[in-house]
Amino acid sequence: MNRKLLVLLLTLGMISAVSFSADAGSKRDGRPDGGTLSYGEYGRPATLDPVTSNEMISLRLTELIFNGLVGINEKQEIVPELAKSWKISDRGRTYTFFLRKNVTWHQKEGAGEAKLFTAGDVVFTHKIMMHPRTITPLKVRYEFIASVTKIDDYTVKFTLKRPILNALAKFSFKIIPSHGPSNRHFLTREDPFAQSPIGTGPYILKNVTADREIILVANDNYFKGRPHIDKFVAKPFADQNIMTQALMFNAIDMIVLVNPRDIPEIQGDKRYVLQPYNALSYSFFGYNMRNPLLRDKRVRKAFTYAVNRKEMLASFFNRQGTIISGPFAPGSWAYNLAVKPFRFNPEKAMALLKEAGFTKGSDGIMAKGGKKLSLTLKVPIEKESEAVKRVVLAFKNYLKNIGVAIKVEFKEWQSWKEDVFLEHDFDIIFASWVFDDSADISSLFHSAEIGSWKNNFGGYSNPKVDSLIVESKLTLDHEKRRTINRKLHALLADEAPYTFLWTLTNYAAYHKKIRHVAIHPYKYFSFADDWFIPSGSQK
Amino acid sequence: MRRTAFIVALLIFVSSPAFAADDPMARAAKLLGKRYYSEAASVLKPKLRTIKPNRRGTAHLTLGMIYLRSAELHRELYRTSASVQLDYLKKLAASRLRSRSRFVDLYYGEALIEVGKYKKAEASLSRFIADERTNEKHRAIANASLGLGYYLGGDEKKAKALWKGLQGKDPEVASSLAAAYSRAGLTDRNPRALAEESLAAQKKKRRRPSLRLLKGIIAVYAKEGLTDKGLSLVSRASLDKYSYREVIRRNKVINFYDLSLLRDLSKLYLQASIASLKKAAADAKLKDTANYYLSEAYALVGNPKQSAEVTASFIAASKMPPQFRDRALARQAANNYQMGRKTEAVGMWDKLSKKQPEDPELLAEIILACGRLRVNCSKVIRKAAVSAEKGEGKRYFPLNIALGRYYYGKKDYSRTITFLEAGRDKGNKNKIESNDPVALVDLAEAYYQSKQFSEALEIYFEMSKHFPEVRQIQEAMQGIYSIEQKSAGDVKIF
Repeated sequence: MNRKLLVLLLTLGMISAVSFSADAGSKRDGRPDGGTLSYGEYGRPATLDPVTSNEMISLRLTELIFNGLVGINEKQEIVPELAKSWKISDRGRTYTFFLRKNVTWHQKEGAGEAKLFTAGDVVFTHKIMMHPRTITPLKVRYEFIASVTKIDDYTVKFTLKRPILNALAKFSFKIIPSHGPSNRHFLTREDPFAQSPIGTGPYILKNVTADREIILVANDNYFKGRPHIDKFVAKPFADQNIMTQALMFNAIDMIVLVNPRDIPEIQGDKRYVLQPYNALSYSFFGYNMRNPLLRDKRVRKAFTYAVNRKEMLASFFNRQGTIISGPFAPGSWAYNLAVKPFRFNPEKAMALLKEAGFTKGSDGIMAKGGKKLSLTLKVPIEKESEAVKRVVLAFKNYLKNIGVAIKVEFKEWQSWKEDVFLEHDFDIIFASWVFDDSADISSLFHSAEIGSWKNNFGGYSNPKVDSLIVESKLTLDHEKRRTINRKLHALLADEAPYTFLWTLTNYAAYHKKIRHVAIHPYKYFSFADDWFIPSGSQK
Repeated sequence: MRRTAFIVALLIFVSSPAFAADDPMARAAKLLGKRYYSEAASVLKPKLRTIKPNRRGTAHLTLGMIYLRSAELHRELYRTSASVQLDYLKKLAASRLRSRSRFVDLYYGEALIEVGKYKKAEASLSRFIADERTNEKHRAIANASLGLGYYLGGDEKKAKALWKGLQGKDPEVASSLAAAYSRAGLTDRNPRALAEESLAAQKKKRRRPSLRLLKGIIAVYAKEGLTDKGLSLVSRASLDKYSYREVIRRNKVINFYDLSLLRDLSKLYLQASIASLKKAAADAKLKDTANYYLSEAYALVGNPKQSAEVTASFIAASKMPPQFRDRALARQAANNYQMGRKTEAVGMWDKLSKKQPEDPELLAEIILACGRLRVNCSKVIRKAAVSAEKGEGKRYFPLNIALGRYYYGKKDYSRTITFLEAGRDKGNKNKIESNDPVALVDLAEAYYQSKQFSEALEIYFEMSKHFPEVRQIQEAMQGIYSIEQKSAGDVKIF
């Protein structure tokens, strides 16, 4: 945005004053209320609050429980949520939000009167989010905020360090209540609030059953109008095949992500709708640079050349995906189309290892300076589907062919995350990232993001990458940002901090009785308060 | 469509007497079945002379079908590219940044000429020409395009005066001028000679011709019916290359592409298709089949009279299964509609749509014709929608696709997505082996128009593996997506 345009915005005071037609109570849209929607998830969430969460299962649930100041609708337009309007001033450096006055926090059974949402909660959320002891991946995203000031109970002002691209969208972060966390200064996963959150959203957390099912019930006082469906039940499944069978036998009504192998079976059944939603995601093997053997990029590149991704995708996922060459998903605007994936070439892999100083020992394992290329691969147990098991075992075999010994360890989800993000106790991991539309990879590869519970778990550090990431964050020029991202793609493809694997076909499947379904490609349940089940089909 | 698959199977069968794994006809037919059109043509075309005379008719039929499907696809790609490129270039042109692109004025101007907005094109091109940083070569190229804009806008005198002053010393300038003359249909300067001189000059310099240079030559060859020469150039070109790369700053680089290239590719393929199918029709055994596809090719070229002639011949003489006859009748109705016999045409479509047992592919044929001719066939559409809802299995995919494409023509993108998704093989959702690429192109545009950019980009990502020329759509779409997306910058582990 240039200076003149910013001045113009300042002059106009760009005030949005859209308000919702429905207040608390029924939506009055003629659609019926009632029914229960049970959906299948890939595991259970480690946390249910939006600050400490860093995985998709939590994200989907927090989307039902909380709201941001603004939201983004299906047409990519920014719409009011907890803020009913806003004003941008000081050349894009000041954002003043005027808050809705009729919003109440969820009321827990037996608790007193429901508390009102106010500007104090917004200030509190920002403060706790940015506290050094709060464990959250959000800090890096909100470093651009210099200060937050409560003007009055329903007005809050954010001062930015500098104008940034798409700043308004950043205010979609979820607001938590100042009376929520037991520790008012910082938030950790041990805080009871992380398991028993209070929000302003369309659904209220009722309880978590002994089977780890999460029950959410409709918020009668939701400020956009009571959601139509009475109850959401999130059911965890460790096995993808069982989840599909549960759908086919009506034990659940929806699967958030269909196993690619089951797509033909579900498509052939007219009871169900298969809906694509293009989450920008990819799978990878990530390397720990703290291991000196993995610090040499020739070794990491050798691993990538040694792996036959095409064969794995065909054998384990019925070719239902796309092999990628770098750190962005192919559906993203940032993907560098000129960078092609490394071709499977075990000879080249061997040559690279030799060039890096490795020689094969009598046991067939490559070694350098007395240190063997014998590594631990950690895989989260929630991902222990048949396909994932096959992928990691195939990886092990491919690397064995070039003289690398891999020990595969399947770990329980929470314990895996502690090993990877807290203790950094691993050599290689298998995982997937899911991005929103901004395709922001800064938290994954910037050296400032090395540390406990930060996303640069492998400790990757490269001044060139750091500099490009910073430049892309500072620019207000879309085309410049595109160029920088293309450069980052090419650089990281060559550096190989990960072996970038593939992006898989994303389909949700649901029973036809659920109507008016729109799925947000990243947050999934953003529009779920408008979904409904016809009276005759309600359980 | 399934019937294409039937013909492909037939072609493989027909080519089987001398069947061998490396038999070019069998390989080409298989590649056609997978919709790898360029690969299929490149396998068969160079071997045509080596094929025995008694099998040459089948080879021409195969090649004719390959080119026909390719022409249809490229026409659709051109339509989408026009829409996406214009959106993107318009946004770039509107930038007020100090580092605003200069070349956007040239490419936006040229794209505006493509869509017939000559006044706006004039403003954009004039801005580029007036910019003192523009060098002589690019100024001359812009003037060639500006002249074309004048000419097509009705000001022949102004166009000729402008062109008169242009020197064609630089090969890219000469090629641009040749394309402009050719498009205008003028022979004051022989466009073909100009084009070939420009190519020769580039060869002399021992440089690979740029895509901008090729674009001009291909335009001339397509206009003059020099199909083989055109296709030969195309087969050697890297079609994913940009036309011009503007380095504005170290970290601001923009690639520009030529929209008209896709239009001219479509033209060349269509000419090649007609030529091959005519040769196939000379073989008495293949006449009916060749005529069936020739009627489609003539319709695509916008010649209902010739299409009607070969369709009538097919209907009268065909020994093909009755479904093909019904389909030809539906196509003939479309020809009649275009030739002014509208009531008769609509009556025929109504009659055919009531035939029992119901044939979803026949309904699909009628709906596609209605969509192509912008006819509001409400009765047939209602009936088809009910059938598509009730129908089960892949047999109904073509009907869903036809309905989707019908609504795409009406710019009803929500319904387009609903029907095209229902007709999509979701197990291989972006694979052209499993999904008609034309339907995927329409679906991608419907997603693009609905701001579901990543869905559209994924389709093109797969398609680019066999049709690198879609890069121009991919890059423009990425550009729009980067501007339009409004997300917080979130990333989660899964």
